[in-house]
Amino acid sequence: MTAATLARPMSSSSRDFAGWTTAAQFLFRRNWVRMLVWVLVLAGLIAIVIVSQRQTFPTQADRTAYAAIANTPAVAALTGLPYAAGSLGGILIIKIWMTDAVALAFAVTFLVTRNGRAEEENGRTELLRAGALGRHAYTFANWLLAAIFSIVVGLACAGAAIGEGLPAYGALVMGASFTGVGLAFVGVAALAGQLAQTSRGANGIGIIMIGVAYLVRAAGDLAAKHDVAGGISWVSPIGWGQAMRSFGENNWSPLLLLVGFGVVLCLLALRLESMRDLGAGLLPDRPGPRTASALTQTPIGLTLRLQRWSILGWAIGILVGGLFFGAVATAMSNILTGNSAAATAILGSSKDVVGGLLAYFTMADGLLVGAFVLQSVASVRSEEASGSVELQWSGAISRVRWALSRIVVPAVASLVVLIISGYAEGASYGAAISDPSQAGRFTAIAIAYWPTMLLVIGVVVFLAGWLPRWSLTVSWVLYGLVVLVSMFGELLKLPKSFANDTPFTAIENATTKASFDSLPLIVLAVIAIVLAVLGLLRLRSRDYVAS
Amino acid sequence: MSESLAVDVTGLTKSFGPSHALNGLDLSVATGSVAGFLGPNGSGKSTTIRILLGLLKADGGTATLLGGDPWRDAVELHKRLAYVPGDVTLWPNLTGGQAIDILSRLHGHVDRKRIDEYLQRFDLDPSKKSRSYSKGNRQKVALVAALASQAELLIFDEPTSGLDPLMEGVFTQCVLEAKAQGQSVLLSSHIFAEVEKLCDTVTIIRQGRTVEAGVLADLRHLQRATITVSLEGSPAALERLGGVHDITIDGARVTFSVDDSSMSDVLKTLAALGPRALVSEPPSLEELFLRHYGATANENEKVNA
Repeated sequence: MTAATLARPMSSSSRDFAGWTTAAQFLFRRNWVRMLVWVLVLAGLIAIVIVSQRQTFPTQADRTAYAAIANTPAVAALTGLPYAAGSLGGILIIKIWMTDAVALAFAVTFLVTRNGRAEEENGRTELLRAGALGRHAYTFANWLLAAIFSIVVGLACAGAAIGEGLPAYGALVMGASFTGVGLAFVGVAALAGQLAQTSRGANGIGIIMIGVAYLVRAAGDLAAKHDVAGGISWVSPIGWGQAMRSFGENNWSPLLLLVGFGVVLCLLALRLESMRDLGAGLLPDRPGPRTASALTQTPIGLTLRLQRWSILGWAIGILVGGLFFGAVATAMSNILTGNSAAATAILGSSKDVVGGLLAYFTMADGLLVGAFVLQSVASVRSEEASGSVELQWSGAISRVRWALSRIVVPAVASLVVLIISGYAEGASYGAAISDPSQAGRFTAIAIAYWPTMLLVIGVVVFLAGWLPRWSLTVSWVLYGLVVLVSMFGELLKLPKSFANDTPFTAIENATTKASFDSLPLIVLAVIAIVLAVLGLLRLRSRDYVAS
Repeated sequence: MSESLAVDVTGLTKSFGPSHALNGLDLSVATGSVAGFLGPNGSGKSTTIRILLGLLKADGGTATLLGGDPWRDAVELHKRLAYVPGDVTLWPNLTGGQAIDILSRLHGHVDRKRIDEYLQRFDLDPSKKSRSYSKGNRQKVALVAALASQAELLIFDEPTSGLDPLMEGVFTQCVLEAKAQGQSVLLSSHIFAEVEKLCDTVTIIRQGRTVEAGVLADLRHLQRATITVSLEGSPAALERLGGVHDITIDGARVTFSVDDSSMSDVLKTLAALGPRALVSEPPSLEELFLRHYGATANENEKVNA
């Protein structure tokens, strides 16, 4: 504070930004690979989906027929209102716009936090700012990099669509809508980086805001009149991106809202940065307990203590997800049972469609729980990389017992979270169709995903044992591939035998068959245990490997 | 293995890929004594300590810790030792007090009375989150946990590198008390005054090999004293004497170092040259250390090789 008041009268604003170009070059060098991967994946998805949908709907007659039935509550709630389903561009928007937009929001959040709050937390910003860098130079360069990244993603996606022969103007509007959503969330992440004191906290705020934006627009799209979203969508940046209606009316004006939103939040973040000390959040640290409880002194108790907010946050998020999925399924069953025989004729009987949809949702919930498990069990490696195991392993505890304490927590917590997600989905759907037994049924289906969670643990422990330095990167890449194949296997026209046999889709199929097949569950559990044991054996016999 | 040695290491080797961290290192700590462990950055001190803690597995040589094998008997041995690393990493969102309790419990039990006593002596506020601690305060957390444990063997890896001089003094006092209670201490340090004050024996290593080891007093005895003298006559006669090194002449003032064995000859020669003021400095550990690591040592090694 004193430094700020001393410097303020004499420092022009340009001095606060001195050296930002150097900082930008440095940040680009540190991040270009991960940004390039994001650009290739996001633009690649556009190209692949166009190709696959051209095969699915080869003629205009096919597309017109699809347009008649495209506007279902499930589609509206999950991926946004279809408004131009009679054209290839409109189908592209239905299939992939939401995925790309939300993925980009995540990408900029992680990028801004990684180079902002995380750097400040580990002390590197202090080193840089002690050089000839202005107060805001590093943060400004960070946000600018994320903004340019958003623009490049937009251009690449537009380019991919034009390259695949879609109308150029619509493709540009689509690219601009991605860029706009990206810029809006650069602002959110910038602000989060000023409010939170830890990188986890900053990412947490960013993820919650993405979730809220998604759910708000889902509510708007469910409350739509024909193909015009409800007014509440105008509260959500993702809703603004949808309102650009690329390949439809091609409306540029919401882009102003998106850019303005991002800029205003960044300006606010700059104000906050001038007001606070380096390394501090806006809220001062409160004193904590002077002693550790008997529980926290035990290895499992310590794991719980370290992860309690994370576990609670995931549980709440997944509970909300379960309720949301249940509500979507309900809306879906309403239109199918309510009136039109035509809808039933085209979509299939209510029981099949809703059943399939619910199984798909349960799998999506499973993927979410999988991310939670991966993040939790990652501490087996991340605590070693950070060096905090040096003191623990030199205590009277074997490495295997120590690692088991880091494994038991996600193993048990994932079961609890799965039960919550299944129960929420089943109860919200069951309440709507007046069938209370659905809660129990979906709880049982969700529990069937438990062996898959154990497999996630097994893979991470195996890698932490045998490939310590690479284990977390490899684990997350594997997880990302499984998500792609499980969620979009059909869309990407992957071979069925492949897409149906991921640890997640195998369970989905096992639970939708008439007779429940327990073999995949047993196989998964056995593989999980074997991998974990091999990983633990290696962990016990190898050297301590710091980062 | 003799129980009179708390730590007994001979011919220890360890490689990380192509780089040899340890090339036949010897080190011993007598039970109830304080052993200093010196070497420049990257010479293998922390690697040796991590092998003693069972964090790394030695490639060759033998290491015995409190009569046991540091790798095989790690869990049992760790009940009897406490460790303070040079760079203490704690859990950022736990308080220092919580970290101390967790570490104490990992070594056996939580002795509330002793913890409170050391908290007071090191002037540490245990209610602050670890993330807000400076390097020195994080070290204090590990020091309080280690000292309160009353372990048979204390292993310190540059424990005072972040402490202020006042706290260094507290640390010195605590180590002397530990020794008086019969605890053994292995102290890796760069602070010569600290080692000279505390240590009974010293081991100096270089590039993973022990180059000097023994009782501190004996080591010094082997070395040279530095003499500064103002002469009336010409110092030329000194330069011809055996056992005289590194002469620098600044007008009438002459500074040189001399082997203890040649001292008597040198004094006779000096007396004939009309000395006015003479200052003789005993060899310090710092000189001993720099002699092993300075540029001259490099040259000597090349000649010997």
